Amino acid sequence: MADSALAPSNESVALTAKDFKSELKPIWCPGCGDYGVLQAIYRALAAIGRPPHEVAFISGIGCSSRIPGYTTAYGFNSVHGRALPIAQGVKLANPDLLVLVSGGDGDGFSIGGGHVAHAIRRNIDLTYIVMDNQIYGLTKGQLSPTSPKGLVTATSMFGSLERPINPLLYTLAYGAGYVAQGTPSDMKGLAEIIEEAIRYPGFSFVNIQSPCVTYGDESGQAKAHRERAKSLASMGHDAADRLKAMDLAQAYGEELYTGVFYRDPNPTETYEAQIALRHSALKGKGPHREEIVDMFLQRLSAE
Amino acid sequence: MSPVSHIDFAALTLLEALDLAILIEDEARERYLEFAEQLETHHTEESAQFFSFMASNEEKHHRELAARRKALFGDAPVTVSRSQIFDIEAPELSEVAVFMSPRDALLVAQRAETKAYAFFASAVIHVDNAEVKALFSELAQEEIEHQALVQAELDKLPADDGFAASDFADGPVEQD
Repeated sequence: MADSALAPSNESVALTAKDFKSELKPIWCPGCGDYGVLQAIYRALAAIGRPPHEVAFISGIGCSSRIPGYTTAYGFNSVHGRALPIAQGVKLANPDLLVLVSGGDGDGFSIGGGHVAHAIRRNIDLTYIVMDNQIYGLTKGQLSPTSPKGLVTATSMFGSLERPINPLLYTLAYGAGYVAQGTPSDMKGLAEIIEEAIRYPGFSFVNIQSPCVTYGDESGQAKAHRERAKSLASMGHDAADRLKAMDLAQAYGEELYTGVFYRDPNPTETYEAQIALRHSALKGKGPHREEIVDMFLQRLSAE
Repeated sequence: MSPVSHIDFAALTLLEALDLAILIEDEARERYLEFAEQLETHHTEESAQFFSFMASNEEKHHRELAARRKALFGDAPVTVSRSQIFDIEAPELSEVAVFMSPRDALLVAQRAETKAYAFFASAVIHVDNAEVKALFSELAQEEIEHQALVQAELDKLPADDGFAASDFADGPVEQD
């Protein structure tokens, strides 16, 4: 498998997790699962070995979307639900960057839900990390798209009537080449699946059950995760079997499976690779990117 | 969910064992500092101070182990890494809570010391090298002493007032 995440770097300096920690101190609630996710991301990035200036972190809005600010990588804390379109633009503008996207379940599967399918079908080499806490925590505990049916929240005082979206099944159904799930209760395992997701050459998705300690349900807290978590590897799951992955993913909300659900053994060509091929094929037949920009600027100045 | 990986205890040298012990102290120090920062941000000053104190203790242990390493091995390169350990003596990330009482903070430290003891006590069984065995036994004994120190502090505190940190968190609110 091509290791696209490592390809562009010319630097061979050994990096540590601390190299990716910014001066900005997180303001999440004490005990929030996102602290563990952040640590796992630091560890994964250190293992990847690309220096911070070769990494871009794009997010939407929400507690988990604060992550770009807590890293030394380039960051863009963007618009609610629009992290994926912006990240795709960043990657296409500079394919050498390692682009990570982070956000919550609301940002990704409600407000930005429509973008997930298109990012997957384009297969741009991004790693999408969703901190799924089944609640809108930043705005004080309203129903989110992954809230379980019956959940009592500020907007469902008598219990939610809606079935939750299943992020694992959703991404698998649209053809994501890498789909995994983790929890900060197993931070070492989480760092490993994030690292593997970054190394995957194409769109990769990591769903992280990240406890909201203030508004989250008791069954979603770290202690419960430790008791409930079942490692897919220890169950003997073959991550190359997409149908089996979909079968296991149906247990979302009931079982807490951790590890890699699906890893395409024959990754399809990325969008940016196809663009490079097309550019090569059209060489001399169309204007270069610089010429297009010049034409655009000339037209702007004429107006 | 093993807290260690890629460590062959039977083949562990004294240098590697000392380096692992130093990394374990580092991890704990960083976690306590992180807790202190989280609680300072969220106006839980007393417990934040306690965690800062614990971080300085871990730093002291680090310095002691590092001095010993220097005396025995000079500037020999480190061949173990942080990726091989996780949460050995560091309290678990979810242990901290906004408005936690000093008693709760001490209990967090107590659980962390107990966990560290369990690690060294179980690791020593798999060690072949006599010097490493002695070091791990010594570190396990130190963890017992730390537990006693924390317990002594706990005994000085007044009885629990019956509140839990979660009693102060916002719950769902009915909107009129």
